[in-house]
Amino acid sequence: MDFQLILQRRTSLGQIRQLWGKEQSPSYPSYPPPAGEAISHHHHLSLSGEMLTCGRFLSSSSSPSLSPLRNLSLSLLRRPHLRLLSSASATAAVEPDTKGGAAKPQWKAAIDFKWIRENTDTVAANIRDRNSTANLDLVLQLYDEHLALQKTRLSAHVPIDAITEHSWLFSSGLKFGGNKSMATIPNCDRWQEVERLRAERNAVANKMKGKLEPSVRQALVEEGKNLKEGLIALEEDLVQLTDKLQLEAQSIPNTTHPAVPVGDEESSVVRKEVGSQRNFNFTIRDHLQLGKELELFDFDAAAEVSGSKFYYLKNEAVLLEMALVNWAITEVSKKGFTPLITPEIVRSSVVEKCGFQPRAQNTQVYSIDNSDQCLIGTAEIPVGGIHMDSILPDSDLPRKYVAYSHCFRTEAGAAGAATRGLYRVHQFSKVEMFVFCRPEESDKCHEELITIEEDLYASLGLHFKTLDMATGDLGAPAYRKFDIEAWMPGLDRYGEISSASNCTDYQSRRLGIRFRPPPADHPPTHTKKGKGSSGPTQFDHTLNATAVAVPRLMICILENFQQEDGSVVIPEPLRPFMGGLEMLSPKTKSSQ
Amino acid sequence: MLTCGRFLSSSAASTHSLSPLRILSFPLLRRTHLRLLSSASATGAAAAVETDTEGGAGGGGGGVAAKPQWKATIDFKWIRENTDTVAANIRDRNSTANLDLVLQLYDEYIALQKEVERLRAERNAVANKMKGKLEPSVRQALVEEGKNLKEGLIALEEDLVQLTDKLQLEAQSIPNTTHPDVPAGGEESSVVRKEVGSQRNFSFTIRDHLQLGKELDLFDFDAAAEVSGSKFYYLKNEAVLLEMALVNWAIAEVSKKGFTPLITPEIVRSSVVEKCGFQPRAQNTQVYSIENSDQCLIGTAEIPVGGIHMDSILPDSDLPRKYVAYSHCFRTEAGAAGAATRGLYRVHQFSKVEMFVFCRPEESDKCHEELITIEEDLYASLGLHFKTLDMATGDLGAPAYRKFDVEAWMPGLDRYGEISSASNCTDYQSRRLGIRFRPSPADPAPKKGKGSSGPTQFVHTLNATAVAVPRLIICILENFQQEDGTVVIPEPLRPFMGGLELLSPKTR
Repeated sequence: MDFQLILQRRTSLGQIRQLWGKEQSPSYPSYPPPAGEAISHHHHLSLSGEMLTCGRFLSSSSSPSLSPLRNLSLSLLRRPHLRLLSSASATAAVEPDTKGGAAKPQWKAAIDFKWIRENTDTVAANIRDRNSTANLDLVLQLYDEHLALQKTRLSAHVPIDAITEHSWLFSSGLKFGGNKSMATIPNCDRWQEVERLRAERNAVANKMKGKLEPSVRQALVEEGKNLKEGLIALEEDLVQLTDKLQLEAQSIPNTTHPAVPVGDEESSVVRKEVGSQRNFNFTIRDHLQLGKELELFDFDAAAEVSGSKFYYLKNEAVLLEMALVNWAITEVSKKGFTPLITPEIVRSSVVEKCGFQPRAQNTQVYSIDNSDQCLIGTAEIPVGGIHMDSILPDSDLPRKYVAYSHCFRTEAGAAGAATRGLYRVHQFSKVEMFVFCRPEESDKCHEELITIEEDLYASLGLHFKTLDMATGDLGAPAYRKFDIEAWMPGLDRYGEISSASNCTDYQSRRLGIRFRPPPADHPPTHTKKGKGSSGPTQFDHTLNATAVAVPRLMICILENFQQEDGSVVIPEPLRPFMGGLEMLSPKTKSSQ
Repeated sequence: MLTCGRFLSSSAASTHSLSPLRILSFPLLRRTHLRLLSSASATGAAAAVETDTEGGAGGGGGGVAAKPQWKATIDFKWIRENTDTVAANIRDRNSTANLDLVLQLYDEYIALQKEVERLRAERNAVANKMKGKLEPSVRQALVEEGKNLKEGLIALEEDLVQLTDKLQLEAQSIPNTTHPDVPAGGEESSVVRKEVGSQRNFSFTIRDHLQLGKELDLFDFDAAAEVSGSKFYYLKNEAVLLEMALVNWAIAEVSKKGFTPLITPEIVRSSVVEKCGFQPRAQNTQVYSIENSDQCLIGTAEIPVGGIHMDSILPDSDLPRKYVAYSHCFRTEAGAAGAATRGLYRVHQFSKVEMFVFCRPEESDKCHEELITIEEDLYASLGLHFKTLDMATGDLGAPAYRKFDVEAWMPGLDRYGEISSASNCTDYQSRRLGIRFRPSPADPAPKKGKGSSGPTQFVHTLNATAVAVPRLIICILENFQQEDGTVVIPEPLRPFMGGLELLSPKTR
């Protein structure tokens, strides 16, 4: 679609013929940048907000010891040993346990405990590198207890399955079909076997009823009673243990791409730098001052009506927001991404399955009163959820979306952070890219996403750096994360304007999103050590990346493209989406 | 969907006995007799209604009364002087307001106020007596008397506060007065004021918007039901472009007419919602509240735009001040289970472009005409067939003095459906939000004096839908469908969709 040709005819808000100032011309400097300089700026970066990433919602963590191959084969090797498959119930995700006071997960991630136990050193190093609070020792201990209890149950012919797995089979297992259903058949048989044995014993007991001595009979009754009580206790123990194991294991972060630098945020590595800091020959204003003179924002009224860190956009800022959103959707959809506008209220369980913690202390998530719903902090959540509990046709992969939504964040705990003006706000508009793909494609898709971001910002004429974020800055779902930090001259620092994360199968194991590789694809998967795990479906990989986070780009545009007279030049790519408007200046206000 | 009406117990009454002049002079006559000025504390972070911590003890109160955290400037004296008119209005609008109780509380309040004043005077008299030289016994007696008076006064003052709260709460449910032309009766009594276009004749079997959307891959209700709940949806593909085009087009068109574009907060303090006349805490409320906070989600941009000038005095020269605001809107749709809920018609979240005007009282009828004309022009230019209705008293929400609805033909649903609404709320909202203006010296003269021409007056507020996206998507899909399942995009929207003229499965 050629928006530009058509829209250039629009002059609904008046075209201001003004040439793009020379000093604002978008430049495409040579990269790579001088390494020394890139690093030297880096300490500014620690101020950058995590407005755009999942990182801030989560405890961070990474493990350099894993090879890419290892990771690729991960999803192939994982099996639902414990039947802890995503049961995706519609109700609240965590409920207080009415018995022991322990939290009870309402949904289950398909966590590969066996793999964890077989790779404890790797997992432990990853947890450490990512500053995760996950308690691996406890997970291992609970897993061993769980296995032992399972064995006890089996040897005692106790029909635990009747409660745990049998109910699972009929509640959610069937819709997955494939390997899961097959895997449950033996359990089903075993359960029937146990039932049969019990029936036999009952039958014998019945037969003996009339003829028994009272004392023998009494002993039998006692035995039966004890057996029943023991059975119930065992079943309860196993359910509670399963829940506890699931809860503890859910906090284990994703594995880490081997190229990710180990360390805290300052260890992140610049992978690309575009443009350079503009030299101003006048005293510059920050975006707040520019916005005040151009009458673009109202923070004061919003503080009264809503609270601090809320704002109204006014006049041309409204047009600028709409232009940014339109432009981003237009550009990204050209590359085969399906446009979406998403729900902004979602079930808390979906938020959790994406790796966010709506119920944690200092959560970033606004919850809806008297419901199991909350507001999204990013469109990553509803887009990730759009294929929840489903199997995507292999031919559809990679499936790419570009989603526009408003985002809502409590910014709890951000009191001391850089919060001037539009930088950190409770509500903002964002265009987000999201990809569902095959495991072997996700590194390539990650490259594609960051390249789209870089192309978008370069075409606006911004100066920015792309960083390969260190382990300590990765949220639990991210296998690798690229951040883009742009120069904000009024704030006199670089600030995060976008982020692109490869979450591999972390989210899909929680959301229950699989695909079925076509038969032809199978041979390569067998090159991984077989283990008989090449079931007919596999978990997808998911990736998310910001195309446009409106307020941060507004900061960049206002501060970088300001003129001495307080006017601001609109970047050329946005003009067709603003009725041809080329310049924001106080004079245009009179038309109102 | 688009009006305040549905948030509220509907109530309406064309107070036939009120002349237009009476109405126009209304705000000029009102004075702040009771000092119940919009206290609208700037900090106002606390919940708007709190349970009375004192257990409702005390003379006037009785029972555990709720305590309003903000106060509307209600003209009790006028109410008492016009009880028949007010009672008829409450009846006509099916309001649950209890006028008798308000009047009784007001009388109690006046009496109590007098008593408090009498005691204060006595206490002052005693205090004065003690100034001179006195016999110790006389002084002692005076000290005792002063102490008793003070204690009595404290008790009475507490009573007065509780009575004030109760009076305020009861009086807040009295609906706005009604324009004399508004037809009295239930919704079916509403009068068509204009009709544009006619029902299109289709020479083929038509599809409804859900079917069209399915074939064109425009919506996903199923995934949204899993992720969010029923009545949520994803817009996909060209539906995204169509939404953005509608929003862009509406803002572009309306801002040409002198309206300032706004994008508003969608989380606001509950008190602001209440001051606009909605009830976030009522049973079956349409309002989503945020957990552990005094905030809620907006059901319409009317709320944050109405609030933008809360507790302020606008310069007369700025009036009328006109805004065109884009926001997402969130509604619980509690109690709407049985209603027409097919597809996009009634949903929990949608995008809307809303017009809002702050004006002088004498301008509001004219502004109301301007707003409905803008709406009519917008929909006519899209080629829709619609009717504009002057809504009957029974369909007016408490804030509305008069309301025009636009109902458009939706051939797939085989009925007319509301696509927009324009309400004149006169000073109902401004008396709650504390929005005044200071007429320039030349202005106040014409109104009859009564000594009430104080330096400030309450502004009038009006709100009107420019574009409620999902309902317009229904209209566009269902009216402009072709036999082959394609849909023609109305010409005014094409420039905002990169020139796209047709939605068809092939464009996928």
